[in-house]
Amino acid sequence: MASFGWKRKVGERVSKAAVQQFEMDSEKVEDNGQIEGVDWLHVIKRRRELLLEDCTAKSKRLKEEGVLLAENGRHWEAIKKWDEAIQMNAEEATLYEMKSQVLTILQEVFPAVQAAETAVRLRPNWWEAWQTLGRAQLSLGEVELAVRSFQVAVHLNPLERTLWEEDLSWALRLQDQKCTAQRKAAEEDEARRLIDEAPELQRDYEDFESDDVINACTAVAERQKRYENLKRMTVVVNTQGVATEVAVGGDNCHASNSVLVKARVL
Amino acid sequence: MSTQYSILFKQEHAHDDAIWTAAWEKSAKDGSETIVTGSLDDTVKVWKWSEEKLELQWTLEGHQLGVVSVDISHNGAFAASSSLDAHIRLWDLESGKQIKSMDAGPVDAWTVAFSPDSKYIATGSHLGKVNIFGVESGKKEYSLDTRGKFILSIAYSPDGKYLASGAIDGIINIFDIATGKLLHTLEGHAMPIRSLTFSPDSQLLVTASDDGYIKIYDVQHANLAGTLSGHASWVLNVAFSPDHTHFVSSSSDKSVKVWEAGTRACVNTFFDHQDQVWSVKYSSTGSKIVSAGDDRAIHIYDCPM
Repeated sequence: MASFGWKRKVGERVSKAAVQQFEMDSEKVEDNGQIEGVDWLHVIKRRRELLLEDCTAKSKRLKEEGVLLAENGRHWEAIKKWDEAIQMNAEEATLYEMKSQVLTILQEVFPAVQAAETAVRLRPNWWEAWQTLGRAQLSLGEVELAVRSFQVAVHLNPLERTLWEEDLSWALRLQDQKCTAQRKAAEEDEARRLIDEAPELQRDYEDFESDDVINACTAVAERQKRYENLKRMTVVVNTQGVATEVAVGGDNCHASNSVLVKARVL
Repeated sequence: MSTQYSILFKQEHAHDDAIWTAAWEKSAKDGSETIVTGSLDDTVKVWKWSEEKLELQWTLEGHQLGVVSVDISHNGAFAASSSLDAHIRLWDLESGKQIKSMDAGPVDAWTVAFSPDSKYIATGSHLGKVNIFGVESGKKEYSLDTRGKFILSIAYSPDGKYLASGAIDGIINIFDIATGKLLHTLEGHAMPIRSLTFSPDSQLLVTASDDGYIKIYDVQHANLAGTLSGHASWVLNVAFSPDHTHFVSSSSDKSVKVWEAGTRACVNTFFDHQDQVWSVKYSSTGSKIVSAGDDRAIHIYDCPM
């Protein structure tokens, strides 16, 4: 009859030295137990209770340690602490929210969005989590999603002026610029297409000196000029967009540094 | 006539995003039942409730941001909507056309409410003022000052005597409309009041707050007549039944609760929404309830009469 046991499972592949070590260790434990006369049955029970209590407390301690680290600019270490805290208490929205703020500072845009999404899922009525999500989405370039997140935040707490004056209006301005840039790009494409397949070049001209040819040439030249103009305009828009983006991106960092890493005690 | 509470109809995916507000009124002209909803998707939708189902009549576009509040004039001819884009728009429900757009100023359009004679629209502002817009003029006519904080909720008493406002810091103010005087200031809640409603006889005021409680006040004496608990999270909306016997509340805990006004007991709880329920209203006869919320669904419930 087959029986289940350690030896059978371990087999003979384990070195003799290891086995001997193990046996010695277990003897020691048994010795200790006998010496101190511990009631093992109850010890296990008590330990479980202790552990439960420890998880929340430890998670809180790790969270606070992370806040201190983040405030001192030690961002990666802070994230590590909060990850440990999440291991202890996975339902704590503030941990994900703070993690998202720090990840945004570190330009880890995608994980920042993910962390903030978890925060709003755990606490959908917490406006600050929506604000953080919106900011992370902006960093990712998801302007439309950011506008939505900021609106949800405003709807939950219309009293917060920074939401209106900085977050929402900034996101709306970016959305506007994006639309303009896209329209310009479409116009440019159209102009280029017209140069490549100019209708004037499609027909055969018998008399190369005729007014027709001259007119056609002028038309093509004008088109080319228009395309060049558009191109220049696009470039201007682009540089402006980039320039403002960089400038405000810098602003955001300042704001985040001062506001955050806003410790969430809630 | 039904004898018990039940869900009658569900319109899933009624909007492309969360529904923040709903209103129900009967048209004086043809007797049809009109429901208007406003959503985070920037649109206002007009629905007809007939033969036990909803029919989309108009999708009203114009707001640049999410629609925070809608109300229907008491003859059922117009709807007013306010949005995060700071505009109040007035719509003709028969033609589906925008009649007027009023710029309320940044952060100054939240809950909109028609006066009982439907000549005015009241809305709260972030400096604690209640601004009254003329429907005919499309302009701000006058304002009532609470000297308080951001006003989230507004209600006219059906007899046209009082106007109540609920602020983000939990303060309730009751004005005498004829004199424009502030009658009472009630400090009932310590958290935002997202909705308040008068009883049909204008004697009681029911308030809903983020603190999870519903409170009932005696309007004339400004006494607290009762505190109701039952919701596990923010109470987002309250509405009185036209026959004065019941009122209904909706909450972030995804439920809709019907309360008996006399005994103040919860007589039924609907747990049919998948997400928080922002808005709840009675039909003009009180035989139906409409609710809508973050799950983008509109629900219609049957009520025993």
